[in-house]
Amino acid sequence: MPKREIEGDWVMGWPDRRRATLIAGKDTQGRVINGRAPLVELEGLITPTDAYYVVNQLEVPEPVHPDDWTLSVYGEVERPAEFSLKELQKLPGRTVRAVTECAGNDAGFFDYMQKGGKKPSRINQQDMQARAAMREKSAVPSTEEISSESTTTCAVSAGEFTGVPLAEVLRKAGLKTRAASVRTEGFDRGRPDLAVQYRSVGRSDFKLVDPGVIHYDKGLPLAKALDPDTLLAWSMNGEYLTHIHGAPVRMIVPGWSGNWWVKWLHKLEIMDHVPQCYYQKHYFVYGNSPEDPNKEMITAMGVRCIILDPLDEDSPLERGTHKVRGLAWSGAGAIARVEVSVDGGSTWHDAHLEAPREKWLWLRWSYLWEADRPGRYRIMARATDAQGRHQPQIPWNYQRKHFDGIVPTDVTIA
Amino acid sequence: MRIAVCVKQVPNPDTPAAVFRVDETARELVLPPGQPLAMSPFDEQALEAALRIRDELGGTVGISALTLGPDASRSVLKHALAMGADEGVLLADPALLSGDSYATALALAAAVRKLGAVDLVLAGRQAADTDAGAVGIGMAELLGWTAVTFAKEVRVAGATARVTRVLDDGLETVEAPLPLVVTVSNELGAPRKPSLRETMRAARKPVAAWGAGELGLAAQRAGAAGARRVRERLFVPARESHCEFIAGATPQEQASALARCMRDAKLL
Repeated sequence: MPKREIEGDWVMGWPDRRRATLIAGKDTQGRVINGRAPLVELEGLITPTDAYYVVNQLEVPEPVHPDDWTLSVYGEVERPAEFSLKELQKLPGRTVRAVTECAGNDAGFFDYMQKGGKKPSRINQQDMQARAAMREKSAVPSTEEISSESTTTCAVSAGEFTGVPLAEVLRKAGLKTRAASVRTEGFDRGRPDLAVQYRSVGRSDFKLVDPGVIHYDKGLPLAKALDPDTLLAWSMNGEYLTHIHGAPVRMIVPGWSGNWWVKWLHKLEIMDHVPQCYYQKHYFVYGNSPEDPNKEMITAMGVRCIILDPLDEDSPLERGTHKVRGLAWSGAGAIARVEVSVDGGSTWHDAHLEAPREKWLWLRWSYLWEADRPGRYRIMARATDAQGRHQPQIPWNYQRKHFDGIVPTDVTIA
Repeated sequence: MRIAVCVKQVPNPDTPAAVFRVDETARELVLPPGQPLAMSPFDEQALEAALRIRDELGGTVGISALTLGPDASRSVLKHALAMGADEGVLLADPALLSGDSYATALALAAAVRKLGAVDLVLAGRQAADTDAGAVGIGMAELLGWTAVTFAKEVRVAGATARVTRVLDDGLETVEAPLPLVVTVSNELGAPRKPSLRETMRAARKPVAAWGAGELGLAAQRAGAAGARRVRERLFVPARESHCEFIAGATPQEQASALARCMRDAKLL
């Protein structure tokens, strides 16, 4: 694979690097409905909003004017209430920086780690293939070649969110003693795409529950709902929330996967039990098979550590000192340690952890690798979080959710 | 050797049809503000063809990118320069705009003459917005040069060009002496992406802006005044559809009735 060349673009009238852009899927109106973050091209800890990953289970709703929007709080509370956005903004605010990760991020690595085969890539393959084709001066890749690449990577980003703690809103409404969960509902509606679940499981020889047209909702257990970092956010990365990211207000549930971060929020129903929402009981669950009677809802993410430099695609590398860099994060708080191995896991060395080190944000780590001798190398990196959890936390499960294994990078030193 | 490549700014072809509006009174297509514009992809391939000739023949090949359009078209010249063209020529004089294929070909042919010593003109087979496909061959006519259309590959050896053309049912290879106009088809392959180094260099490359006067075109021959084609009407055809329920006692009957209907409608 030839060395990746830096592409140029015109940015505000000046010649500059091509900026990292979302690898987006669009509807017939040209509106983004899903997208993967160009992780490899991003240098900082905060993912720019227009490069932030997007996943939606139901149809993206029509936008609602912030002045017309209200949030209903009802159920097991002393004072049911409706809040306008302006009223929410009068409550004591809070800003949290956190990783948003799709539950299915890196799902393809479950198969790779179990059965081998083709390793999922973190680079936009279509782009790379087009580039390779250009160099070969042959035609662009066929539809088959592209569709054979079912990307599961890069559904993760990190942002800075401003809003009001959910606990503050619940305090205003007055929780009754039997309150056990908060059902958070978005105003997006639609019929779940069952094909998504079949694809997630990798087979279609079982029956799925079709709930018909529903609103997207999740029943957040009270302990997490009362965490001061669980927010109702109206701002992302210093600006008002954009529509595709759930404007006017979305849930921020740090440490828990993206399906808990309910977008386009319009209802909070406080309940005396944890409800069996569709996306809690039938999808986003752990289990051994679709028939498993003891399925469990997924909540906090495991411990993640990914190598973004070098990539398999960068091989062969020259002899000399190479930087090994990447990101680490955890669903249970800050990262305490990252270790790197360049001999396939036989020996491990501590990596340098770059500041800032925050509870819910990922951190960059780096390690200098003296590669003096030609040969094939297997580089690995693993993280431990402040709770002492290490990788992997999450075993294989039939929906391939919350992958947190240690994925090696394989390179050759020429 | 000097190659002139004609490039046109068009609405980004990825823009969904739903965002366009047709102004039937003004007989114009209306694109909402903020919609992205881009170089017509066929023209990008024409430029790629020029760059491949230079890759093969070396540094003696000079490439000029020409565009006719409003001042905003400067951005397609920038893109052309970043891809590797050596200079740009912008024909943004309001007197040259709003013409038809003839007036556009006339202005571009005049620009090619003014550049001087051009051996080869490359253009996309058609613009991605109007799809007329007339400007390239019109220029050949006005310059008195040979035209070769639908090129998949263009190679130059000495004073001769060898062009592989795409036909409906195969390929045809032709040879023609320079000077020559070649229109390039998408079968040429993907155009290169500008590298950062070339984009930075592009900022220092010259871009000339010529008006009708500099091209020696009298006002009545240029732009809208010189157009020979009159757009009488521009409209979105009304589409009628009706729904027919296929009856049948059994699924088999329904299926064969459906198949019959589809055969009648020549869909099968």
